[in-house]
Amino acid sequence: MLPSTSNYMFEMIRSELADAVGAAYVDVREADRFAHSVDYYWIPEMWHDRNMPNPQADFIVHPGTAEEVSKVMKIANTYKIPVVPWGGGSGSQGGALPILGGIHLDTKRLNKVWKIDTTALTVTAGTGIIMRHLEWEVNKAGYSTMHLPASIACATVGGFLAHRGTGVLSTKWGKIEDMVMSLEVVLPTGEIINTLPIPRHASGPDLTMMFLGSEGTLGVITKVTMKIHPQPEARKFRAYLFKTFDDAMDAGASLMRSRLRPCAIRLYDEEETRHHVKRVFGLDDISGSYLVFGFDGYEKIVDLEMEEAMKIMKKYDVKDLGSKGGDMWWENKYKFFYPPYMFHMPQAFGTLDTVATFSDIKNVYRAMKKVVNENFPEARFIGHFSHWYEWGCMLYARFIFEQAPADPGEAAALYNRVWDLAIRAAIANGGVINEHHGVGLKLGRLMKELYGPAKPLILDKLKKELDPNNIMNPGKMGFGF
Amino acid sequence: MYIKEFEDAMKACRFCFMCRHLSAVGNVTFSESDTPRGRALLLDKVSMNPDFLRSEAVVSTMYKSDLSACCRFHCVSHYDENGLVLAARRDIVEAGAAPEKVKALAKELAKGAVFKVAGKKADTLYFTDKYTVKQPEISAAFKKIADAAKVPFMTISGGCLGKALKTLGFEAEAKKAAAAFAKAVTASGAKVLVVSNPAAYDAVKNDFPALGVKLKCKVMHTSEFIAEKLGKLKLRKPAKKTAEVYYLESDFLKNYNGNVAAPREVLEKCGFTLRPFGTNNEESYSAGEGACVLPELDPCLVKLLAERIASRCDDAKNDRLITASPYTRHALATEAKLNVKTIEEAVAALL
Repeated sequence: MLPSTSNYMFEMIRSELADAVGAAYVDVREADRFAHSVDYYWIPEMWHDRNMPNPQADFIVHPGTAEEVSKVMKIANTYKIPVVPWGGGSGSQGGALPILGGIHLDTKRLNKVWKIDTTALTVTAGTGIIMRHLEWEVNKAGYSTMHLPASIACATVGGFLAHRGTGVLSTKWGKIEDMVMSLEVVLPTGEIINTLPIPRHASGPDLTMMFLGSEGTLGVITKVTMKIHPQPEARKFRAYLFKTFDDAMDAGASLMRSRLRPCAIRLYDEEETRHHVKRVFGLDDISGSYLVFGFDGYEKIVDLEMEEAMKIMKKYDVKDLGSKGGDMWWENKYKFFYPPYMFHMPQAFGTLDTVATFSDIKNVYRAMKKVVNENFPEARFIGHFSHWYEWGCMLYARFIFEQAPADPGEAAALYNRVWDLAIRAAIANGGVINEHHGVGLKLGRLMKELYGPAKPLILDKLKKELDPNNIMNPGKMGFGF
Repeated sequence: MYIKEFEDAMKACRFCFMCRHLSAVGNVTFSESDTPRGRALLLDKVSMNPDFLRSEAVVSTMYKSDLSACCRFHCVSHYDENGLVLAARRDIVEAGAAPEKVKALAKELAKGAVFKVAGKKADTLYFTDKYTVKQPEISAAFKKIADAAKVPFMTISGGCLGKALKTLGFEAEAKKAAAAFAKAVTASGAKVLVVSNPAAYDAVKNDFPALGVKLKCKVMHTSEFIAEKLGKLKLRKPAKKTAEVYYLESDFLKNYNGNVAAPREVLEKCGFTLRPFGTNNEESYSAGEGACVLPELDPCLVKLLAERIASRCDDAKNDRLITASPYTRHALATEAKLNVKTIEEAVAALL
C-alpha cells in the first residue's frame, strides 16, 4: 500500500521515479489519473456514468526506453507498489485498470520504429506505438503489417501482443502471435531479456509465446520484431445473403475446408444482420444471414480464388449481393465501432468472444445464446463470426440490455452473471474464455475452470517465479493479489 | 453551461477511442487527458459535478488543446469535440476560473482590436494579421502576385478580429472585436476581403455569423485568390531542384472548412510536385494553428508539436515545406528550424 500523497514518503517515491524516467514523465495530475481510470471495459464506464469515482493510479509514468522500464520495476519491487501497464487503454476486459492504485506504466513513449528490414520483411518497433502509426510507417515503405483490427487507431502494438489481438485480415495473415518474430521484455524484477530472433526453431520451449497474452502480469514487452508484407496487387470482396445462419456457417466452413485462402470471412447471424448490418450499411431490405469474404494478392490469383469460392456458395440457397455488397462491408468495417453505431450507455453490453472448431462452433453459439435468452429475457443476443481458421472460427457474440440497473452494484452483479453463464456454456461445448480480447479483470475468475490443474501447476507457479512480489498487474488474469 | 449544448459529443466521445491517433497534443505529451476521449470524459464529469469545472485538472487540460479538429474531420459521425472544448472554455471564463495568463492575454487582445484601412480605394482588401506582420515576406509576396494580376488592393491591419478571443472563451469580447473589424471593412467599401491567415478566413466565414456579426464582403483565402488569378499570372516553372515540395494542410482550411483541394491545386498548377508529407494526411501538421495563441499560452507545447512535425520529414534539413498558414510557417521556422514558406511566397517566387 502506498503512503498518502501528503506523506513525505510519497514524495520520495515520486522523486525516485522522476530520477528514473525524467520529471516531465511522472504525472500525478488529477486530469491524467482520472483519464487513465476508465478504459474500454463496461464496468468503469458504467461507474463513471453513475458519477462514481473509479480507482486511480498514484503515478502515471511514461518511460522512454526499456532501461527506464527496468528502473521503474526495481523501484516498484523495493516499495512493493503495483505496476499496471497501459498502452492505448482500449482493452475491453479491464486489464489496464489500476484497481489497487500504484504505478500506471504508460508505454506510449516507447514508440520508436527501430528498423524496417526490406530483405527479411520485418519491422522492429517500440511496443508503445499506436498500431495505426506503425501501419502508416510500414505503408510508407511500401508494405503492410496486415494487422488491421477495428482498434488499430487506438490500441498500441503492445496492447495487441499482451492480449493476442486479431485483425480483420487474420484469416489469411494470422493473429498477432503469427506475425511476431521476437520480443524484448522487461521482467517484473527489472531484468531485460530478448526471446530468440526467429519464431520457428527446435531450441526448447518458445518464450515468445509465453509472454504473448500475458497481459502485463509477467513483465512489460518493450520492443517487437514483426513480419511485414508487400501490399497486395488486388483485394476483392463478395457478399451473400443466406436464408439461415446454419447454411451460412456451413458455407463458410466449406470455404475454409477447401483450403482456399480468404483474407477475411465475416458471417453475421440473423439478429445482427437484421439490426446492426442493416443500420450501419443503411440497407432497407435485408434479412437472413449476411456472409462476406475476400481474397488478396496477385489479381489473377485473387480472381481464380474468388471464382472457386463462388462455386462453393452456389451450392446453397443464397442471394448474391455481388462485389458491391462485399466492398460495402470493407469500406464500412470500422464504422460499427464509432458512436452512435457502437453500443452505449444506458445500455449494458459485452462481447462474449470465443473460438472453437467447426465441429463445435454451432453448439457453442447455440449454448451461449440459449443461456443468455433463458436467464436474461430482457437482453438481446447477437453474434458474428469474424476470424476463421482451417479448423474452426471465432464467435464474436454480444449481449445487450437496453437499460442496465441504476444501482452500480446491481448492474455489475448482473453483468458478471451474464459472463459467468455464457462463458461456462462456451467452455462446456468446446470453446474457450476468449479469442482476442483477453482475460483481464473481467474474466480472471474463469481461468481455473478453463485450465483445470494446469493453472495452479504451471501458470500460477510461472507467475510466482517471475514476479515474486506480485507487483505486475495484480488481480488480473485470475492471479489474484 | 455551454458544454450542455455539445452533450451529444460529450456522451459520444467520452468512451470512444477511435480518433486518439490524431490527437496532436496527446501524441507529444502521451497524456490520456490530452485526447478527445480524455477531454470529453473530464467534461462529462463536470456536467455531473459543475464545481469540477474550476479544478486545475479541467482548466489546464482545456487550454492545452490544439483545437485542430482532426477528430471531427475523421469521425464517421463528425462529433464536435472541438466545439465542446470551446464551450468549456466559455464556461471556464464565465465562472471566473480562467488562468491569469489567459485573462491577461484576452485583455490585451481585446484592447488591440482596432483596425485601420490604408491605400487607395479598391475593391479588394487584404488583411495583414499578426503573423503576416511578423513575417513581412508573406504580405510582400501577396503584393507581388496582386500587382502581377493587376488587382489593386487596400490593406487592413490591426489586432485580433475575434478569433483568438473566441478561442480563449471570451465570446463577448470576440463579438466586439469582430464587429469592429466588420465595421472597418464595410467602411472601406471593399467587395472582396483576402486573408493569408486561415484563422481569419474561418473567423469571417464561420465565427462572424455565429456571433451575429454581419459582413457582406466576400472572403477569400490567398490560395483561393491565387487560384482565381492564375490565368493572369506569367509564372516560370519552378527549377527542377526546388519543384518537389511537401504541402502541410491548414487545420482551419481542411478540418474547419473542408477546403482540401484548392491549395494543392494551386501548387500543382504552378508546376510543383507535391510529395506526401509524413506517413499520412490525417494528422495535424500545423503546430497548434487551431488554438491561435498557443505560443503565448504554452510555448513548450508548441515546440513539442513542431519537433514532432520535424520528425515526420523525410529530410528535415532539406525538405521544402509549403503551408497555407502564416502561423504554422512561424512555428515551424522558429521552433524546428524547418525550411517552410507560404503558398504566396512559393507562387510569388515564380513571377
